[in-house]
Amino acid sequence: MPDHAHGKFVPPSPRGGPRRLWKAFTARPDGGQVVVAGLIAALGFGAVVQVRADESDQLAQARRSELVQILSDLNQRNSRLEDEVAELQAARRELQSGAQTEEAALEQTATRARQLAILAGTAPASGPGVVVTIADPSERVQARHVMGVVQELRVAGAEAIQLEGGNDNVVRIGVDSYFLDPDGVLTVDGVPITRPYVLTVIGDPSALNASVLFLGGSKEIQDESLVEEHEDLLVDAVREPERPEYARPAPDDN
Amino acid sequence: MIPAIGLLLGIAAGLMLDVQVPLTLQPYLPIAVVAALDAVFGGVRAVMDGVFDDKVFVISFISNVLIAAFIVFLGDQLGVGAQLSTAVIVVLGIRIFTNVANIRRHLFHA
Repeated sequence: MPDHAHGKFVPPSPRGGPRRLWKAFTARPDGGQVVVAGLIAALGFGAVVQVRADESDQLAQARRSELVQILSDLNQRNSRLEDEVAELQAARRELQSGAQTEEAALEQTATRARQLAILAGTAPASGPGVVVTIADPSERVQARHVMGVVQELRVAGAEAIQLEGGNDNVVRIGVDSYFLDPDGVLTVDGVPITRPYVLTVIGDPSALNASVLFLGGSKEIQDESLVEEHEDLLVDAVREPERPEYARPAPDDN
Repeated sequence: MIPAIGLLLGIAAGLMLDVQVPLTLQPYLPIAVVAALDAVFGGVRAVMDGVFDDKVFVISFISNVLIAAFIVFLGDQLGVGAQLSTAVIVVLGIRIFTNVANIRRHLFHA
C-alpha cells in the first residue's frame, strides 16, 4: 500500500471517491478511527493554540535571528528619524535666527526713521532746550538776523527748531527753510511771522544759550533776545515731507 | 465521523483552555501544525482513492510532525532555522496543494 500522503501525482482512481469518503464518514467507529480522531483533535488543538499565540504576541514567537533583524531594523529607523529630527531642528534654528535678524533690522530702521524724521522736521520732538523770545519792539531785527540766529543755534547743536510769531503762525525750521522780509514782514517758508518771534529750540540748553547771547549772533539779536532754558520742551509744528524732484539716491556701489 | 468530531473537540478545547505555548516549543508548533495538515489532507485523499489505512495514517502523521519539527530544530542549532522552516513550509505547502488537487478531481471530476 503506498503512502497516502506522498506528493506524487496519482491519476484519479475510478469514480467513487466521494462515495468512499461518505462511506468512511458513516462507517461504524472502530479503534483505528479513535486513534485518528485523537491525532486530528491534537492538530485542531495545536492550530488553534498557535493562532491565538500569534495573535497575542508576535515578538514572543520570533527566533533569535529574527529578533536581531527586527532590532537592527528598529535601530536603523531610529537613527534615520534622529537624523530627521536634527535636520528639522537645524532648520528651525535657522528660521528663528533669520526672523530675529529681520526683526532687529526692522527695529533699527524704524529707530533711524524716527531720528531722521525729527531732523527733517516731519515729526514732533520733545526734550531739553531753550526758548528764545525776540520782542524787538523797535523793529530792528530783520530776516537775515533771524537766519543768523538759526545758524548759530544749529552750530550749537540744535536738533529741532520752530519759530512762532505774534500772529500765532508757527513754522518748523527745516533744511530748506528760507527767510525773507519783502515788505518788512518776516516770511519763513512763505508764512508771514510777526513780532515778537519765539524760537523753541531742542538741544543742549547751556550751549544754545551761549550761542545766542555771547558767541555769535548780531548785536540786534543780542539786544532784543530773551533766552530761557527748559528741561522739557515740545516742538510740535511739523513740515510736510517733500519728494525731491530732481535728486535721486546715488547708487551705493562706487 | 469520529475524526470529524475529534477535530471539533480539539478546536473547542483550544478555544476554551487558555494554553500558553511553552517557550521551547514555540518555533516548532507552526511547522508541526502545517505538517499535520499535510498528513490530514493526504489521509482524506487516500480515503477517496480507497487506499486509506489507519496505521499508515497514524505513522505518517506522527512522522511528518516529528521530522518537520526535527528539521527546524536542526536548522536552529545550525543557525539557519528561519531559512529551513521556510523550506519545510514550502515543501509541505506544495504537498498540500497536490493532495487538495487530487481531492478536487474526485469531488468535481475536474
